[in-house]
Amino acid sequence: MTISKLLVANRGEIAARVLRTAKARGLATAVLRHATEQEGPAHLIADEVVTIDGPTPVAAYLDISQIVEAAKRISADAVHPGYGFLSENAGFVAALEKAGVTFVGPTPEVIDLMGDKVRARAFVEERGFPVAPSAIEDDDPASFVERARAVGYPLLIKPSAGGGGKGMRVVREDSTLETEIETARREGERYFGDGRLFVERYIERPRHIEVQVMGDGQGNVVHFWERECSIQRRFQKIIEETPSPALTPEQRDEICETAAGIARAVKYRGAGTVEFIYAQDGAFYFLEMNTRLQVEHPVTEMVTGFDLVAEQLRVAAGEGLSAAQADIPQIGHSIELRICAEDATADFRPAIGNILLLDEPQGEGVRVDSGILDGGKVTTDFDPMLSKLIVHGPDRAQAIARARSAVQSYVILGVTTNTGYLDAILAHPDFASGDVSTGFLAEQSETLTAPGEDVSDLLMAAAALSDERLVSDVMQIPEMYRKMGGWRN
Amino acid sequence: MQRIFQMDGEETDCWLGHDGSRFVLNTPTGAVACQLDPTGLPGGYTLRAKGVVRELRLAVGPEATFVHMDGRTYEVGRVDPAERLAGSDGGASDDRLVAPMPGVVVSVAVKPGDAVEEGQPLLVIESMKLETTLTAPRDGVVAEMPFAEGDSFGLKDILAQLAPEEE
Repeated sequence: MTISKLLVANRGEIAARVLRTAKARGLATAVLRHATEQEGPAHLIADEVVTIDGPTPVAAYLDISQIVEAAKRISADAVHPGYGFLSENAGFVAALEKAGVTFVGPTPEVIDLMGDKVRARAFVEERGFPVAPSAIEDDDPASFVERARAVGYPLLIKPSAGGGGKGMRVVREDSTLETEIETARREGERYFGDGRLFVERYIERPRHIEVQVMGDGQGNVVHFWERECSIQRRFQKIIEETPSPALTPEQRDEICETAAGIARAVKYRGAGTVEFIYAQDGAFYFLEMNTRLQVEHPVTEMVTGFDLVAEQLRVAAGEGLSAAQADIPQIGHSIELRICAEDATADFRPAIGNILLLDEPQGEGVRVDSGILDGGKVTTDFDPMLSKLIVHGPDRAQAIARARSAVQSYVILGVTTNTGYLDAILAHPDFASGDVSTGFLAEQSETLTAPGEDVSDLLMAAAALSDERLVSDVMQIPEMYRKMGGWRN
Repeated sequence: MQRIFQMDGEETDCWLGHDGSRFVLNTPTGAVACQLDPTGLPGGYTLRAKGVVRELRLAVGPEATFVHMDGRTYEVGRVDPAERLAGSDGGASDDRLVAPMPGVVVSVAVKPGDAVEEGQPLLVIESMKLETTLTAPRDGVVAEMPFAEGDSFGLKDILAQLAPEEE
C-alpha cells in the first residue's frame, strides 16, 4: 500500500514535526484545527487545514467519527496520530481500517494489549521478562486492599487504564492506603472512564529508563537505544537524554535487548517505547509499553541520525525497516528540555497569557520543535507544553553546556515559562554527575526554585522606562517639579 | 510619577522623576539614575542603571512587563496607584481562596458556619487534569462556599470565603 496523502490527527509541535518529514518525503499533507484554536506552526506547514469542532477543543481531537470522516472527505490514505489524543485508541484504528485508511502505528490488538497495564504486565511476565511485585484489583476485588498491603510499603497505586502519571499515588503509610485508593479510583474514572486499579511496590530512588523500538509487523524489530527520563515533576517528564548516564555498556545492551524482545513477542508494527523502572542496584522492571511516538523521540534522532517519523511512514507503507540493528549507532549525547507554560515556584501551576515576544535559540547542535508562534495566545485548552528544545554534543558535559546556553537565550515573553527552572536543573551538581532519580525534582525543589541574585532595581528601572504612559506623564510635569524625586503621597 | 511594582508577590513603591538630563527612579532603598536605549532587536534594549550596563529583551503587557536578562526571564507587575484606589474592594486577602486557574470542583469538605483550622482541606478542585486540595489560609469560620461539587469556575473566582477576623 502506498501512501500519497497524510492527515496528521494532532496539533502543536508534534503535528508540525510530523508534517515536515511527510512533506520531505513528497506526501501531500493535511492537519486538523479546532474552530477556536490559535494558528500554530503546523497550520503554516500543511498543504491543507481541516477544521473540526466539538464542545471543547480537546473533545474535537478525540472525536473518532469526525476525524475518520475528515480523512475520507479529503482523500487522505493515511493518518498519523502523533502522541496523546487518539494515538493509543484501538477504536480509532479499527474505524480507520474500516474506512480503508492506513493508521501510522501498531494494530488495534497490540494497542489494546499494551493499553491495559494489567494485561500488558501479565503478558510480559509470562514470557520471562522482569516485572515488579504487584497486586491487581481485578484478580479479586474483595481482597484488593489486603493484597495491596501485602505488597509492602512504599507502594504505588495506578489506574489500570492509565498513562502519563495521571491518577498515580504513592502510599508510604498504611493509615492513608484506603483514602488514596479512593482518590486514585475517582481520578481513573474521570480521566479514563475506568476506575479499576492495581498497586505495585514503589522502588525507592528509581530511575526511569525507556527504549525506542521499531518493528515491521512481521516480527522484525530493532531498537534505537535508550532514553533516560528520570527528571520528572508530578510524574511527568521535563528533561530527557540519551545515552543514560546510569548504564554500563553491558546493562545498556541487556535493557535494549529486553525491550526489543518484548516488541518482537507481539510482532510490533511501527514506533513504540518500552518503559522500565531502574533500581539503584541495577535491577530493572517492565513498566509499560507506549504504542506511539514519544514526546522525547528527538533525542534518539540526534544520536542515531535516523528520522523516526520517516521510519514510521516507511513501515506504514509496507516498505519495512530501513536499517539492521548493527547499522543503528549511538553517537554523542543529546538532551531535550520541555518548555512549559507553568510556574515552577508555585507547584507547576499552568500559566496563561499572550506571547508578546518570541525568539528561539539556534546554532550548531540546537533543534527547536515548537508549537507556538510569536503573537500567539497560551490558553488552558491544551497541555502546557509550548515547545521542545533539543541539543546534541560530543559528550554529556558538552551537551549540558550547550543546553544551558540555548535555554538561557530562549526568549518567550508574555507568559510564565519554566526556562529558568530547567536551567537550574541543568546547573545542579547532582544532574551534572548523573546521580538522579525520579524523585530528584521533589527532593531538590528548594534549591531549584531559589531566587537568584537580587536585580529588582534593574528590573523596576526597565519596567518604569518602558512604560510609555509613565514616561510621558513624567516629561509633562514642569521641570522644577520633576526633580522632586523623593516626594511621597 | 508614582508606580507600584510587583515581583514574586512583593510590592515596591517607586517614583520616577527626571532631573533635566536623565531619569531617576526613587525606590525605598535609594535613587537609581537610569537610561534605556533600543538596540534594534525586537524588544531589545540596553539598560544603564546603578553603574551597570545590561542587554535585555523586554515586552510590555497590559498588567506586567516581561524582561529577559542574563539568561533569565522576569515578570514585573505594574500598578497605577490611582487605579488601585478606584478599584479597591476592601476585602482582606487572607479571607478568601481565589481560583489560581479555571477548573471544576471535585468535592467540597466544609459548609458555611464550620469552624476550620489553618491547613484544613476546604475543597478539592481539578485544573489542567490535576487534582489540587485547597486548604484554609488561617483559622476561622467559613462564611461562603460559592461552588458545589461538579461546578465549573473561572480564573480568579472566589472558591471559599472565611468570615472576617474579629479584632
